[in-house]
Amino acid sequence: MGTDRDRRLETLLPLRPVEFLILLSLAEGERHGYGIMQDAKERGGASIPDVGTLYRALARMVDQGLIEAGDPRPAPDPGEERRNYYRITAIGLKVAKAEARRLEGLTRAARLGGLLEKGAK
Amino acid sequence: MSVETRSHRSLKASERWFQLLLRFYPPDFRDEMGNALVQTYRESAREALNTGGLFRLMKIWFAAFRDSLRNGLGERINPAVAWRRAGDWGRDLSTVGRRLRQRPLFAVAVLATLTMGLGTFAVVYTAVDKILLEPLPYKDANDLYMVWCQCGDLPHLMVSGPQVRGLQGAGGVIESAAGFAFGRRTLLPTENTEAAQVTVLSVSPNIFDVLAVRPVIGRGFRQDDLAPGASERIVISDRLWKRLGGRREIVGTRLQLSASTVTVIGVMSPDFYFSGSEPDEENKPDVYLPRDFTQGEANDSSYQAVIRARHGIPEGEVRRHVEAVGRFVAESHEMPGHNLFAVGIQTEMVENVRPALLALSFATIFLVLVLSVNLASLLLARAAERERELMVSRAVGANGLAVVRATLLEGGVLGLAGGITAALAGIWGTRLLVALGPSDLPRREAITLDWEIALLVIATGALIGLLAAVAPATWAARASLSSLMAASALRGSASSHRMRRGLIVVQVALSVVLLSSAGLVVGSFRRLLTADPGFKPAGVITFELGLGGEWMFPRIEDMYAFLNRVDDAVRALPGVRAVSSTTQLPLSGGQNAASVRIPGAPGNTGDPEKDRRTVGRIFTRAGYIDAMGMRLIEGRDFAPVHRPEVREALIDRHLAKQFFPNGSALGAEIPTGDRQTTVVGVIDQARLYHLHRDDGMPQLFVRAEDYPGRRPSLYVLRTDREPLSLMPEVRAAVHKLDPRVAISNVETMNQIVAEKRSEARISAVMIAGLALGALLLVAMGLFGVISGAVEQRRGELAVRLALGATHDGVIRLVVGEGLRLVLLGLLLGIPGIYLSGQAIRGLLIDVSPFDTATLAQVAIALLGVALVACYLAARRVTTIEPERLLREG
Repeated sequence: MGTDRDRRLETLLPLRPVEFLILLSLAEGERHGYGIMQDAKERGGASIPDVGTLYRALARMVDQGLIEAGDPRPAPDPGEERRNYYRITAIGLKVAKAEARRLEGLTRAARLGGLLEKGAK
Repeated sequence: MSVETRSHRSLKASERWFQLLLRFYPPDFRDEMGNALVQTYRESAREALNTGGLFRLMKIWFAAFRDSLRNGLGERINPAVAWRRAGDWGRDLSTVGRRLRQRPLFAVAVLATLTMGLGTFAVVYTAVDKILLEPLPYKDANDLYMVWCQCGDLPHLMVSGPQVRGLQGAGGVIESAAGFAFGRRTLLPTENTEAAQVTVLSVSPNIFDVLAVRPVIGRGFRQDDLAPGASERIVISDRLWKRLGGRREIVGTRLQLSASTVTVIGVMSPDFYFSGSEPDEENKPDVYLPRDFTQGEANDSSYQAVIRARHGIPEGEVRRHVEAVGRFVAESHEMPGHNLFAVGIQTEMVENVRPALLALSFATIFLVLVLSVNLASLLLARAAERERELMVSRAVGANGLAVVRATLLEGGVLGLAGGITAALAGIWGTRLLVALGPSDLPRREAITLDWEIALLVIATGALIGLLAAVAPATWAARASLSSLMAASALRGSASSHRMRRGLIVVQVALSVVLLSSAGLVVGSFRRLLTADPGFKPAGVITFELGLGGEWMFPRIEDMYAFLNRVDDAVRALPGVRAVSSTTQLPLSGGQNAASVRIPGAPGNTGDPEKDRRTVGRIFTRAGYIDAMGMRLIEGRDFAPVHRPEVREALIDRHLAKQFFPNGSALGAEIPTGDRQTTVVGVIDQARLYHLHRDDGMPQLFVRAEDYPGRRPSLYVLRTDREPLSLMPEVRAAVHKLDPRVAISNVETMNQIVAEKRSEARISAVMIAGLALGALLLVAMGLFGVISGAVEQRRGELAVRLALGATHDGVIRLVVGEGLRLVLLGLLLGIPGIYLSGQAIRGLLIDVSPFDTATLAQVAIALLGVALVACYLAARRVTTIEPERLLREG
């Protein structure tokens, strides 16, 4: 359905790699900044974003309504400051799915075009 | 040193390094994300140290440096969340909308203020625009100029034939020129109409081209309409066309106009008229008759001239060109000193109402100023209320500019909305004005708010909103973070309250200026209402008899015999007390100047210059003094029956005083031509010009019958009945005597007096309306400031109450402080009163611009209103419950 909201979503695509990483990570649950970086590392992705890049993206995405600040929780070590947690919004989830579909389509095209071996991961 | 402490120290150093690197980022980002950023780096650093030791840590340090340099500068250039720092109109707008919804009372107060103030402005502006500045029904009226002759020190004289010819042949910037002259003629009865007097404008054949208009039926004039032997052709007004039956087949119809037969060739449109620069309903011509103005003699200056300049030529150049034409004509006809000068038709029209316009624009500016100050005060109070919010947004890095912008936007949006509600209020207000206005309100059908004024009001609203927001915006931007934080500890901030109190003082000062001007203008109008014009207008009706020329009454005796029959017939009507006729009605302006000597009078000085007095001569028949209700100081009116061998005159108080300072003037002889005229009575002037003071020239009443060239066609009837109800019987009686004689210009003397007063009345009503608007605004402003002050001082007032002060005592305290502000404003307004007095001097009649009584009344009224506003606001004190308030701290 071509609602206004869908159209608005499309204007956000394609996502920057760091944005997609953030959404991917938050789709699993609330994370703080360092947690998102850890996820990226564990996922073994091509690039782990710089911290500054990450936080700029977080600020921007909060503003766009893709993610929101979660409830502050006490830090694991006493004496440390509370951490900023983030969680994905409904729109953010939609955008992430749309981006995944877009990437899937591109991958399929690349495979058909012989850029990728069939079945290659 | 243990490994523990060493790694701890490295981590501490890392943290300091990361904190340092944060400096690359802009402050707002630093405030929002800085801690999380450092924390994330610290965790990376701890992990690096645990897994790879110092070398890995150094790599992290370096990576962090590169990262911060890139992203920090990147964030400065291209912020992730742009609006928070630089502002974003759309977001600001939605913020403003949300804020206003949160505080509906504030929004209502602002809208009410603007609606009040600008609504008044809209109504007054509409009235001024439609009543005083009646638009001229010609295309590009700005390019039209009247041309007058200046001969010696006599300005505004009419022009002569050669001058018209000179203008027509000049070319250059003068595109075209036409001469014209007024006359009145009798339109003899047709199948549809009775005989009627019509105003005839003789015009150059090209007049309609000069005015850029065209008849709607038939055609305009051509040069060959002047050919000798051609029957006279006329173009008629829409008004006359309708009176003649309003048929389109009128072209070719022959009419009898006085002694000549004329053929109608065209009909003008309903809104067209041309009467030079005098937009006088009475003088709107019904018949346009072509005439060759170029044939006149150089010494016969009895025409008027209008020219059309090439479009867009500046007035100065047109003036210079016309002067050059004047010099050329004067030289070639050896008439030195006969200079021509041009005055824009619209300029000349506006000239008549300039004093009123000046005073009204001045009053309007003051109202708008008061309005702006009021709004500024409201916005300031609002900004102060929001200081916690300001503090937060400043703290997260919103710079001064963003805060200023948000405040300005709030003002602009409110101003715009207020402008719209004011325009709506203006539409209703003008309707109300028309409904409540006097029945003789000029052009009442045209008084409606049009689009241009509505747009002007809306734009003014937005502009005032923006201007008013400047003060609070500056305050918000300048207020430093520390002062905001300190102030928010208290309730409200002292600095904003100081500023609001200052604004109230300014507002009072502005209003007192406006109010005093209004008081003076209204006072002057009241004086005009009670002025004695030298006659008793009630119960007097006047009309003009169309006595034609020699074609109607070849011998003057025939005319007077007819007038005597009219007198008898009219006097026989029930309710008629007195009848007479004259050549000139009171308050009609103009005069027939004559020079008078009274040889042998005791007041003569022996200096022939001083013993000769120029007087305004009025030609009347017997019974005029009685019919008009003039005051006879001594002697009697003219003898009822005219005897050719006796010449009688009445002189006014001024002449009598000059020539007979101590004794009676009766029986004095005034040499006139070959005979003596005897003074039979002394009267008070029936003023020709002003209601409130005597004419500049003494008046001399002479018997019309003694001057064969004069036709006393203006009838004056005094009656016990409702004057206008008499007219059908008068018409029938005159018609019975001679159906060719038309009756026109029917007006009661009361109407004539009211017309004379109408401009002053309009000015007075409007300026009073504006001043009332200002007074209400001040009251609203005072109420806001005082109730704000009570709110701010709740704590302090609670302490006073707890310590035993009564509510009344506290109210007195608060009201007293309000009144101090008002008194300060009054004092500050005094220089303004002097300045405004100069501006409205032209409107004032018999009232000094510094009339103490009026000014005192204004001050008392203002104080009274202020007292009420302060008291109502101060009553909020009674809602203070000291016990609860003090417990809450």
